[in-house]
Amino acid sequence: MYLPDFEYYAPGTVQEAVELLAGMPGARVLAGGTDLLVKMKQGLLEPPAVVSLKRLDALKRVAEEPGGLFIGARVTLNELINSDLIRRRYPSIAGAAHQMANNQVRHTGTLGGNLANAVPSADMPPILMALGAAVRVFGPGGERSFPLEELFVGPGRTSLGAGEVITGVVVPDQKTTGSTYMKFGLRRSGALAVVGVAAAVTMDGSVVADVRIVLGAVAPVPVRARSAEETIRGREYSREAAEAAGVAAAAESRPISDIRGSAEYRRDLVRVFTRRALERAVREGHV
Amino acid sequence: MAGEYDVIGRAKPKVDGRPKATGAAKYCGDLKFPNMLVGKILTSPYAHARILSIDTSEAEKLPGVKAVITHRDVPDLKYGISPARWDENIFCIDKVRFVGDKVAAVAAVDEETVYKALKLIRVEYEELPAVLDPLRAMDEDMPQIHEQFPRNINTEIHQHFGDVDKALAQAYHVRTDRFVGQRTYQSPIEPHSAIVVWADGKLTVYSSTQSPHYFQYYLAREFGLPMGDVRVIKPYVGGGFGGKLEPTGLEFAGAVLSRLTGRPVKMFYDRHEMFAHNRGRHRQYMEITSGVDKDGRILGVHAKFIMDGGAYTSLGVASAYYAGAMLPLTYGFENFKFDMYRVYTNLPACGAQRGHGAPQPRYALECHLDMVAKDLGIDPIELRLRNARRPNTVTPNDFKVNSCELTACLEKARELSGWEEKKGKLPPGRGIGVAVGSFVSGAGYPIYRTDLPHAAAVIRVNEDGTSATLYTGAVDIGQGSDTVLCQMAAEAMGYTYENMKIVSADTETAPHDFGAYASRQTLMSGWAVKRAGEEVKAQLLEMAGEMLGVPVDSLDCRLGVVYDRATGEGKLDFAAVARTFFVKRGPLVGKGSYTPPKLGGTFKGAAVGTSPAYSFATQVSEVEIDEETGEIKVVEVWDVHDCGTVINPALLSAQVHGALYMGMGESVWEQVVFDDKGRILNANLGEYRLPTALDMPKITSALVHSEVPEPEGPWGVKEVGEGATIPTMGCYANAIYDAMGIRLDSLPLSYEKVWRALKEKWTAQK
Amino acid sequence: MEDRQGRKRHLVTLVVNGDEYTVAVKANTLLVNVLRDLLDLTGTKKGCELGDCGSCTVLLDGRPVNSCLVLAVEADGHEVTTIEGVSQNDKLDRIQESFIENAAIQCGYCTPGMILSAKALLTRNPHPTEREVREAIAGNLCRCTGYVNIVKAILAAAENG
Repeated sequence: MYLPDFEYYAPGTVQEAVELLAGMPGARVLAGGTDLLVKMKQGLLEPPAVVSLKRLDALKRVAEEPGGLFIGARVTLNELINSDLIRRRYPSIAGAAHQMANNQVRHTGTLGGNLANAVPSADMPPILMALGAAVRVFGPGGERSFPLEELFVGPGRTSLGAGEVITGVVVPDQKTTGSTYMKFGLRRSGALAVVGVAAAVTMDGSVVADVRIVLGAVAPVPVRARSAEETIRGREYSREAAEAAGVAAAAESRPISDIRGSAEYRRDLVRVFTRRALERAVREGHV
Repeated sequence: MAGEYDVIGRAKPKVDGRPKATGAAKYCGDLKFPNMLVGKILTSPYAHARILSIDTSEAEKLPGVKAVITHRDVPDLKYGISPARWDENIFCIDKVRFVGDKVAAVAAVDEETVYKALKLIRVEYEELPAVLDPLRAMDEDMPQIHEQFPRNINTEIHQHFGDVDKALAQAYHVRTDRFVGQRTYQSPIEPHSAIVVWADGKLTVYSSTQSPHYFQYYLAREFGLPMGDVRVIKPYVGGGFGGKLEPTGLEFAGAVLSRLTGRPVKMFYDRHEMFAHNRGRHRQYMEITSGVDKDGRILGVHAKFIMDGGAYTSLGVASAYYAGAMLPLTYGFENFKFDMYRVYTNLPACGAQRGHGAPQPRYALECHLDMVAKDLGIDPIELRLRNARRPNTVTPNDFKVNSCELTACLEKARELSGWEEKKGKLPPGRGIGVAVGSFVSGAGYPIYRTDLPHAAAVIRVNEDGTSATLYTGAVDIGQGSDTVLCQMAAEAMGYTYENMKIVSADTETAPHDFGAYASRQTLMSGWAVKRAGEEVKAQLLEMAGEMLGVPVDSLDCRLGVVYDRATGEGKLDFAAVARTFFVKRGPLVGKGSYTPPKLGGTFKGAAVGTSPAYSFATQVSEVEIDEETGEIKVVEVWDVHDCGTVINPALLSAQVHGALYMGMGESVWEQVVFDDKGRILNANLGEYRLPTALDMPKITSALVHSEVPEPEGPWGVKEVGEGATIPTMGCYANAIYDAMGIRLDSLPLSYEKVWRALKEKWTAQK
Repeated sequence: MEDRQGRKRHLVTLVVNGDEYTVAVKANTLLVNVLRDLLDLTGTKKGCELGDCGSCTVLLDGRPVNSCLVLAVEADGHEVTTIEGVSQNDKLDRIQESFIENAAIQCGYCTPGMILSAKALLTRNPHPTEREVREAIAGNLCRCTGYVNIVKAILAAAENG
């Protein structure tokens, strides 16, 4: 296989990167390259230029900020898994990254890349959305920040404007007592999610004071299962309640049938994994 | 058994372990020659289409392109690995027959230029209706794929041994079951590649091949060259599993490109092109009917199969025969009927994949027998014990079985797996299942009709006896034939393995051998090597006798020392004798060859399935099912094999692991999937799921040995390379049935199928 | 600088197995091809070119990555370890010896990638569990061994380390 020709830039600042991207329609950001280069080799993308983030150390940070935890867009999946800070604050984020691809890809692929690639089965969006994360973006108009779910517009499509670059996500300080991401794939490594469910709960004794359930791989974009949340928010937790939430989540999902599974199968898997994710988040904390 | 021998029976380290561990081993794609060009093949985007025109002018103009060829530039002689069906051209002439069929080729100075040039070749097609459903391929209204094969029937088989109708009529219980197997692909990790040098009217081909001989033979034939002017050399090969047994477009196109440019040309496939070239396992639709007596003894079996052959024959004629031929091997029934249609479709051609046509029918028969067992209330292992083939019997289709320890395999598998404690007693969602299998240790007849010996070997001891070189055409594709044959050579000569060298799989320097397929080499190449070694030893002992002034038969030689048989006292070093031999008589050389005895019956297709010896195996697997998702976890597998004398125990169990692993992949995870235009949807290693290290069960591999070693194998050897793939699919299906009470009748046994079957079961129960 | 077709060439310096090399490559040149074609280090293999099989695994600053998905320009200034750099002066690394001793090599095509993944694991985690070993090599596909002896070899190397 081969890569088509392209111009390559490695700017030294985010500002420079933004200017390059804004000035070259069709130019693509290169972070880890594990999605971009694959698509280019398969003939799905032929960008005239590629703007590498390799010199932008600011995007490599994992750091506490006032009000939240900043995870830079260039942080690789293995860096996420090995970050003391993330493991301490939100092991569920590390857990989600750990279920992705394989070791080699995790050493190269980045958080920003997984978000920007925006495939419906992406593994990082659900847990981050469940934790209320905001995405930070820098563009010609400067920096802006918005809820992560607003990034995803359709399969492979984001709401990023011309010249905009994801610089990272911020997971806000929160009262959640537990969260987890569960992924169902067709083998134990190197498998896209057939279904992915993230749940985050705030328990008040045995009452589910607050809950977020996010479904991956069962709609064009990651989906907040709001009806499912409704069935359980403010209620006493029980396995039956979790099952009911699962049933509701299944009804909210809009899966397609493809080579990995039928829509019918996926809907049922949503039911099962919503219940399992809630069980875990309620009983085990952030895992 | 190991104790009797000095070199064989020991886990000697491989001859090629170090180069492979250091990266020094050169595979075909690693080789570089001065002035070398790179070439690739342009393939069809349509499943069935007429070629209206091909315009290569733009491609030819691209700087760096040295040649562009189409059917106009190459011989139009039809070829194919099955002589009964020569149906392929180097490039399609009038029409393409599957997505991936060969249309043109380019040679250029570098890879990037080749890819760009391919895109510049303009082909005008007229799309034709395509045959994509093998079950409809024979219908009157379907398009003809090959003019010479009406109703798209590539191979039609009707065999009847004994009287099946009578057996069924007399049976206590008759049942019929239907199963479907899926298309899978060998997917060796190393892609196909070939480097072809046409110089001075002679052809030299380096290729990732399982058989330099067949490549040499078919290349010579295609280009009208004497065999002696075609040299095929095998570099290190990264796996074949049946898919590299026949020349691909790469060798043929490379030859013409090299001839036109006067330069070496390296041709290769990308992974998705490998999937398209295929020659993998056929999809089979299988109907099995059996009649048994009230004790579960099988009286007769009728197997009715349809195989999806894809667009060309490849090795498919043999696959079609093997599909039925192997069934009676494991059980003693005398009445057997086999009906088979191998049909053409506009899909990639199918050929021989590990187990060659036999694994899916075995899955069908083994599942079927478990249902019979259930109907009669007999334990599945017990049922098989009652039917297991005995040694020194002949199958209804005229296969002579000498050694056969299937009964012992069943009993040992039952014991090792804890079957009696587990069967019917495992917690919900957990199950245990059994299946048996048998395979040939080399095919009784070669792929094309010839009286050539099947294997030949030469051993030359060097001038001072400090090394000996084995020359063999046998092909090491990773299974370790170089290693075991060196062990056999050393054993036969009374020499040391550590001083052996090997020259193999080069048609110019090594004597003829048919190559690595049908699990033939340990037995067949082994015979040639043993004979060559014994000839060396005989000459050596004669010289030693002369040197010592004693009768030859008072001496023997082991591990490089000539000794007195009566006293055991060492008398002379092998090396000293060898040196003296060279000084006095010239090179110390031994040669040997092997041709199997005349085997098999006289009915049509009798040759396929014949073998000097057969391996037997039993596999038991324990599975755990997630009842909510259908996820299958294979907890543990036990494989008990009757594969005769073991030359290298480490390599043997490694082969069992690998064969079982492939059977496992095909059981649950692997399937080539197409869209409605005949395009492969998952021609990559992300969506064609090979099991990863995290997916593996615990594997226990055990052996049983017959009291009397297999007489037809040197030192009693038999095969193992394919035997462990054969029982696996049936074994897993039976374990899943035990776990959930659901019978999955199609492969792969995917999570979704389990889920769906469970849903149906629970709905039915309500 | 530009070549005669007007394509920019980037000067890339790599330290490969301790030796420094400087090459002039196009932006679309992949690290795997620099290693195999320009530096003649063919121990690194191509199996799928899409990051699924791991036969192109090299260590980039000690981290196992699929070199088929790394642009040479991205690796500029970094250290690369290929299989050729694992043994020192004809002395095999204990992982290589363990692979040989434990019959973990059949066709050998996945072996370089496996050994590098194993080396990275044992450097970071000298006493891994079996699960950790399997996870470290889950991105290295093998069609020959069923991974049985490979896992055994890596655990044995860890024990003897």
